[in-house]
Amino acid sequence: MISAYILITMTPGKTDKAIKEMRQLDNVAKISIIAGEYDIVIRAQVKNLEELLTVTDKIQMIEGVTKTTTQIIEKEISLQ
Amino acid sequence: MIIRKKYLFYVLAITSSFIAAAVTGVDSFVGSQPAFKYDPWAFAFALFFIGTLITLLITLSLSIKIKGKSLGAKILDPSFKQLRLVQKSEMKYHLIAGLMNAINTVGYCAIISIVQDPSVILSFSQIVILYLLLMESITEKDVPTLVEIQSSVIVTFGAILASISLTGEFQLFPIFIVFLVVNPTWAVFSIYQRKLKIMKIHNKPNDSINIRFWNVFFSCLFTALLLFIYDLFTSGNHLITGFVTSIDPSYFLLLVLTMGTTFFSYVLYIRSLGMGKASVNNAIRASTIIFAIPFSIILLQLGTITEFSTDPVMLIIKIIGMVLIVMGIISFALTVVKSYIFITVKPGSPIRDTMQKLWDIRGVSHVSVTSGKYDFIVKVSTRTLMKGYERIIRKLDEIPEIKKYHWDSVLKDWEKI
Repeated sequence: MISAYILITMTPGKTDKAIKEMRQLDNVAKISIIAGEYDIVIRAQVKNLEELLTVTDKIQMIEGVTKTTTQIIEKEISLQ
Repeated sequence: MIIRKKYLFYVLAITSSFIAAAVTGVDSFVGSQPAFKYDPWAFAFALFFIGTLITLLITLSLSIKIKGKSLGAKILDPSFKQLRLVQKSEMKYHLIAGLMNAINTVGYCAIISIVQDPSVILSFSQIVILYLLLMESITEKDVPTLVEIQSSVIVTFGAILASISLTGEFQLFPIFIVFLVVNPTWAVFSIYQRKLKIMKIHNKPNDSINIRFWNVFFSCLFTALLLFIYDLFTSGNHLITGFVTSIDPSYFLLLVLTMGTTFFSYVLYIRSLGMGKASVNNAIRASTIIFAIPFSIILLQLGTITEFSTDPVMLIIKIIGMVLIVMGIISFALTVVKSYIFITVKPGSPIRDTMQKLWDIRGVSHVSVTSGKYDFIVKVSTRTLMKGYERIIRKLDEIPEIKKYHWDSVLKDWEKI
């Protein structure tokens, strides 16, 4: 299983509608609206890189998404 | 389905409390039966003995696969696959949690054999929230903040007020049992159940159903052992009485009912322990007192308990207590600040060492080493932004390997369940 963070920059005013569409996507484990350099962070869980490409592709097709930056997780420590 | 994680946490914790309130009512009735009333030790063993059997049966039923997914995963815990053996890495935690649960239950049984009204029984144990805050500051890498201490104190005082004995009876012996036996053991039990829930088994999250089954199993073993030693020194026969009474048809079904229902309460409780600190979980669990009132009234109507005062002054005090509990819980819910920190390190920096340095910072809940624009993505949880600055930013500045970082606060988040 591959996990990745997809950092998204949005056009102002399109976030709510985009979030609704993102919540419907497969392989999306977590969505956070953030304040700062990016507008949304998505955590995706996929079986292979091909699936990751499909997820990022679908995200880029959502209206209001202007830029995505994908960070693949190589190693992780977490409380949960 | 993707929902807000915060909602799921509160739904799990409050549902668990609601079921726990129902269980306490049934426990009170079962504990007042002639065979158990004067022998809480036998009652404790009977509970765990029948509990192990019924929990095994429920766990096996939940292991049944439907369309490739277990029934337990569909209805209770998505991490559950099937009943499995305890892993070596879990054993220590299960043994400690089992021992604590055994001692706690013996103490609890002793109390309910003395006091019958469930809302009264629950009162003294709420101070456990403060025990947990103290223990978490030692065992977890997350010391309580002022807001957490304030909210916990509000909930604790609210719980004490809400559950002051309606008959005005203030018995010293049960209070000693609560302070010296029930609270410390429950605090350790909660912390170890949380440790088990946040463990990864074969790189996957541990599930609350197996945790519950093995906890009941080990609790049963320890209770049997404790009673055996106690019987040996006192020439008593609590263990045999417990066993014989548990298989008596007139008690068997009652024990099945109480332990069967307890299973669901605990599974939800363990799941919520995986999402939030034990002190916060127990603060939410204080709502059991509110839920216990209608159950007490039902039991009174059924004639299974005999004392339930409707003195207006006591009722007002209880209502004030309940308001404090709700306010404390809301205060917990509204004061979490989560953030992402995106970090780039200097070329040639040792990644594993830097990862460990980041993980050692209090308040850090995830450290991910990533490939791409950033070398690390760190997720942090604090009660206030000021605390985030004092506790996290200052520490980041002390890590020489870090070249650049930026902090993005989470405004709202959702998680797949």
